[in-house]
Parts: sequence; structure tokens; C-alpha cells
Amino acid sequence: MKASPNRSRPRPHSRRQNPAAWLLLALCALLALPAAAEKVKLDPSEWGHPAGENCASCHEKASPGIAEQWHQSAHKSAGVNCMDCHQADAADVDAIEHEGHVIATIVSPKDCGRCHEKEYREQEGSVHAEAYAIIKDRVPALAHNVTGPEMQAAGCDQCHGSRVKVRGDGTLDPATWPNSGIGRINPDGSKGSCSSCHGRHSFSKAQAREPSACVRCHSGPDSPDKEIFEASKHGMIYAAQRDAMNLHADTWVAGKDYTAAPTCVTCHMGAAGKVPATHDVGMRNAWSLNTPVSQRQYLVVLDDGSKLELPADAKPPKRGSELTKADGSTAKVKVVATPERRRLVMSTVCLECHSKTMTEGFMRQFDDVVELYNSKFGEPAAAIMAGLYDAGLLTPLPFDEPLEYTYWELWHDEGARARHGASMMSPNHAWWEGMYLVGRNFYSRFLPEARAVAGEQAAALVDAHIDGAEGHAWLANQGEGNPILGWMPPPQPEPAASADADAESTAPAPDSQEPAAEHAPDAGSAAVDAEDAAAVADAGDTATEETPQ
Amino acid sequence: MIKLQAPAFITRHVLFALVAGGLGGVAFMFFLLEFDHYTSSNEFCTTCHSMTYADDSYQQSAHYNSASGVRASCGDCHVSEGIVMATYDHVIGTKDLIKQVFGKADYDDPAVNLLHLPDAAFAAREWFRKRDSATCKRCHALDAIQGTRANTAAIHQEETDGKTCIDCHMNLVHRHVPSEQTFKREAWNAMVEEELDLAPGTAARLLSGEDGPEQVAASEPQAEPTAEPESAPAPAPAAKLAEEPVAGSSAN
Repeated sequence: MKASPNRSRPRPHSRRQNPAAWLLLALCALLALPAAAEKVKLDPSEWGHPAGENCASCHEKASPGIAEQWHQSAHKSAGVNCMDCHQADAADVDAIEHEGHVIATIVSPKDCGRCHEKEYREQEGSVHAEAYAIIKDRVPALAHNVTGPEMQAAGCDQCHGSRVKVRGDGTLDPATWPNSGIGRINPDGSKGSCSSCHGRHSFSKAQAREPSACVRCHSGPDSPDKEIFEASKHGMIYAAQRDAMNLHADTWVAGKDYTAAPTCVTCHMGAAGKVPATHDVGMRNAWSLNTPVSQRQYLVVLDDGSKLELPADAKPPKRGSELTKADGSTAKVKVVATPERRRLVMSTVCLECHSKTMTEGFMRQFDDVVELYNSKFGEPAAAIMAGLYDAGLLTPLPFDEPLEYTYWELWHDEGARARHGASMMSPNHAWWEGMYLVGRNFYSRFLPEARAVAGEQAAALVDAHIDGAEGHAWLANQGEGNPILGWMPPPQPEPAASADADAESTAPAPDSQEPAAEHAPDAGSAAVDAEDAAAVADAGDTATEETPQ
Repeated sequence: MIKLQAPAFITRHVLFALVAGGLGGVAFMFFLLEFDHYTSSNEFCTTCHSMTYADDSYQQSAHYNSASGVRASCGDCHVSEGIVMATYDHVIGTKDLIKQVFGKADYDDPAVNLLHLPDAAFAAREWFRKRDSATCKRCHALDAIQGTRANTAAIHQEETDGKTCIDCHMNLVHRHVPSEQTFKREAWNAMVEEELDLAPGTAARLLSGEDGPEQVAASEPQAEPTAEPESAPAPAPAAKLAEEPVAGSSAN
């Protein structure tokens, strides 16, 4: 991939650039974000399917769990029965006959959208709806090659969604179903799965507002948002004040209906002050955080209602121009929201509780971490990998070489963790579980392994990318004191002992790379390690010998 | 004492004929009983290779391997009870035999067989429905159904008005076939092609090429004896089959 020298200054630039865009954006905000939590507009005569009146009688016995959930649900009190959601046309690919009625097992977002049209439209264009498309080309390399296709159904697809296959005999292929992944490709062509967050069959508002609604997927090594939230001040207060969260309220506007703490929903989708609620969950994200190099992103709203994210270091696409979407189809640009605009929406949520200076200060700290990651690790690592591939020193086949795992974990796990940690205020995830591991990996695994792969070309293909870079300049100070690991240079040498002291100051040179050797998997560096240790021991001996002098 | 005076036309010869005819009739009844019995057996049905495909799935089913040791044979489910109806079913079933032997379609071919399976299944379901699932009830008494789950008995007691066994319990023994109402011929053909590694379009060609319009594509591989009097509504050429809504219980 092309590493863009993201020198962190696109912001004022684009802000100055087109004042007309701001007008457009205001319009966009009005169009794309209607003002309040939406009530169902469909006429009540459109639901209460007569054929659905008797389902419960049998299902109370056959599947009492879901029947009871429905009995307790808002759907039931509104008169929405099984057939309202499960009805199907005989011509639908996944239609089946059940007790004399034509139904479909899968209730797709399109089905939910009959009543919940606004939510359907919003999620349809969201990054959630693209969750399958985003990784579909990666799945063969990881799930299929490294493990086996079985893992796609049990792993990847559980979160990202499956492409549901209806077999010729009308049954749903168990390799793709059951599935409630958020980017599921449904038999009716719609994308997503409402039940991913809204557990069926109670479809409780309160449940979806809880952070636990997101936990099934937003946890673990690559996007530990659950862990980060729980470790943050927000999460801490939420846990203590859960009773004050007013989770069952009809509307749920931060600052109005609840003030105790934010949840995932609050910042990423929720209504707050004048910010309307949205089911386009990524809309307020200025950065891409789960990429090898983070980028500020435009949100491009297309004329078919779908959306697209484009790096903000390029010129924004022109209104009316045609763009190719992730699924290969094309659509015309309706409006473009700049990353600044997206950030503004997110920050406006903060303002319900925090001052503007505090909010801006926090965002600054967050942006700094992302930019640090980019410039110090993400960009050089990407460039080194690209060089090794170009030089034919790595096979294009992914995950057949140890360095590829190292690189993958650097950005996909550790790097994403650091960036997410900073975005949601978990110091532990920003540092120990995040950027510290990025640094450790970069210096102790990635660089040594990359040098080994590059062999004689290491200077050109590897070191050239870090030599002289500000962030890596510390490597040059090889002789400095080392209180953190317990070694200090001897006291200022007497003039007579100056020759010895010179020798010492060079002796620990390989020592500074000791952590590298420690974690390098191959025996060669273990040997180096031993030598280093000997050198340290020597130096130590010399030191103790000399100290009394 | 009452003395019966035989009418004058009962001559010696007539009497002999009556006795011989009576004995012959009784013998014929026994013959039919044995005939129906034999032609209902698994061994007889699978004499035709085309039936072995149905046999495969049957042998995987609970009706073949039941915990209690009871095993339902082909005829137990697919041939009516009683000498009259059993004989009738067998007579009607002869048309399957005729098609197996003289028909243009080679039902022994796994692809052809599978392509015709849905029609056979629809016909068989209709056959069960018309008889109110009578053959199921030979063994299963609604009142006695307990099941292993808490509410199985209650469901069968309280939720079965206006329904017959086959309405819910289809796809029980043989390979899964969708309901006629939602069946999609093209999808089925594609599945057969994929499963048997056939070039796309082969299925439609097999159906239209080998199956003349006069062929009734129903009830073939399912169970020969399961003949199926009126219900197979002499469908169109097989390639275009399907989609005719089933009348009766599944409407609504």
C-alpha cells in the first residue's frame, strides 16, 4: 500500500479551501441527519398481519424463550406480530412454507425498514453495513489459508457477517447461517443485521444502548473497545452510575434524558444536544484507526444513499462525479463531509458534559497519538514491507513468512489498540497494551526480522526508512545511563582512566538492542544475546572493579 | 326342521361353479394379500435402481433406525391399509413401473432422479394429505404422542386442529424438498448441477430432452407403490414445472 507522508497539516488547509463546502455540509447535516429520534411513520394498519395472530400459541410451547421475549417487547405492545417481520413472498429466494404461511427465517434490515425506514437507510450506508465487503478479500488469506474455511463461519463472519447462501432446496447453507454479523449480505440483497445489536426477539432499546451491545465484536486484541471503555473514566462512571442512565427512556438524548455517563451509543450514534441520533455508526469518526496507516477521511454521501470514506489527503470528490463503491457498483457524489466536520459532530457530543477547551485538548492528545503512530511506526513499516515485496525478498503470498505476522500484529492488533486506547481514554490500552507493544514489536521483532529478510540490502530497504527520522534518533545515544534497566555509567572518570571509560561507553552499544535480541525468535539473535550479556557482564565487572578507585 | 329347497336353476354344474368360484375368490383374496404385502416390502421397491436413491435417505432416517426397534417399510408409509386400497395403490403405482421401464427419462441416473425428486415429493405429500396422513396413523396415535420436550404433547393436543401429520412433518425421511409453493426450479437445477458437477444448463437439458411433454414427471423416485391417483396434475414439461400453488391446506 502507498504510505502517504501524512505530515499532519491537511486540516487548516481544507478548512480555508472551500467555504461553499460548508454551506453544503450544513445542508448535508439537515438531509442526512433528521432532527430527532424517529417515530415509526408507517400507518398502524400496515401491521398486525392477520396470519400472525396464531403463531404465538404454538411457539409459546415450541420455543417459549423467543415467544416470551416477544410478549415482553415493545413490538407486541404496538401490535407487531411474527408475520409482520417474517412474512415473505413465495418468489423470495429464501421463502419457505411454514404452517401454511409463506415466511422467511431471516428478517433483513430491509424487512425491518418497512417500519424503521430512517434507521434502515442510515445503517445501509454505514461502515457497519460494509463490514463483510471490507474484509472479504482478506478472509481467504487469514481464515482459509492460515486456519481453515470452518473458521470463517465461527470467526470472521460472526462479526463481519456472512454472505447468506440459500441452497437449491430452499434451506440456508449452515456454512453461512445462523449468522447475525453486522455486514451480513442477506438473501434479499440488503446488507447488515439489525439483530446484531438489537437482540431478538425482545428488541429492547435499553439493551441496545448498553455498551454490551457492542462487545461481541468490539473486544479482543484488534479492537478492544469494550476493554478500553471499561478502563476509561467514562466506563468507570457508567459502571457506578448505571441506574442513573435512564436506559429505558423513550428518547435518549445525552444531556437531557441522561447525564451520568456516555456509552458507545452516546458518542457514536446517540442524540446529544442538537446532534441528532443516527444509525450510521462511523459517521462521526474523523480517522480510520484500523488501517496500517491512519488517515483522516472524507465521508462521501452518494446519491443512492450509500456512503464511502476517502482519504482526506486527496482532493475531495466533486459533487455529481461518479465513484466506485466497495461492492464494485458506481454512484454519484451527493455531498462530502470533511474529517473536520465529522470531528465537529463528535466533539459536539462531548460538549454536553465538557468544556470546549477540554474537548479540544483531548482531541489534540488523541490526534497526536495517531500521528505519532503513523509517522514513527505505521508509515516506515508500510514502506519497509512494500520495499521487501517489490524487491522480491518477500513472496506476495501473505502469511507464509514470519515477518508478515509481525507486521500484521504491529498495525492490526497493537497499533489499532494503541490508537483506540487513545481515542477513548484508556491509558493502559494507549500505552502498555498499545503503543508500548508497537514500539517493542517495531524495534525487537519487526526491524530485526526485516533486516534479516533484506540481508545485504538491509541498509537501503530497512534502515533508510528510519535513519535520520526524529522519532528514532534516540537509538544513536548508545552510551547514556540506563536507570530503567539498572545500569548506570560509572562516575565521571578520572582523567587517568579516560581511555578505559571510552572503552566502556562503546561496550554497551549492542546492549541497547538487547530487548530486540530478547524477543527475536531465531537462534542467531539468541547467540548475539548471549554475547551482549557477556559484554554487559564484562562492563559491569569493570565498573565494580573501577568504582572503588 | 327346515328343509331348504334349492331353486330349480341351481343345477349341479351351477353349484360346482359357485363353489369353485367362491374358493377361487378366497384364494384370489389371499393372493392379493400376499401380493400387496410383498410389493410393499423394501426389497421389492428397491428392485428398481431408481428407488435406491430414496432408500439411501430412508436408511439415515429415524423411520429406519428407531430407538424402539420399530422399522417402517416403504409400504407402511406409502401404501394404504386394507386389501382394497392397497391393491388400488399398487395398480395405480404400475404407471411408475411403466415409466421406469418404457419412459424416455432414465430415472436410474442420479441427476435425472434428483431433478424429478421435487415432483415426486409434491405428489407424495398430496397423497398423504388426501388420506389425512392415514398411513402415519397406523403407528402414531395423536393422543399418545409425548415427545421428549416438555410441550410436545401439548402442541399435538392443542395446535393440530385442521392439520394433518404431513402438513408439519414433511422432509422427514427423504431428502429435503421445499414446499411446492416456494419451490424454485432454477435454484434446484443449479443445486443438482453443483452437487453432481454438471455443466450449467445440463439440468434443464436433461429435463426437457429426455422427458417428453406426455411424461408425467411426478412421483417417480419417491416410492413406486405410492402411486398417486389424481393428484399429480399432469404437469408441464419438467423444465418448466413447479410453482402451481398447492390447493387446500397450504393456501391461506
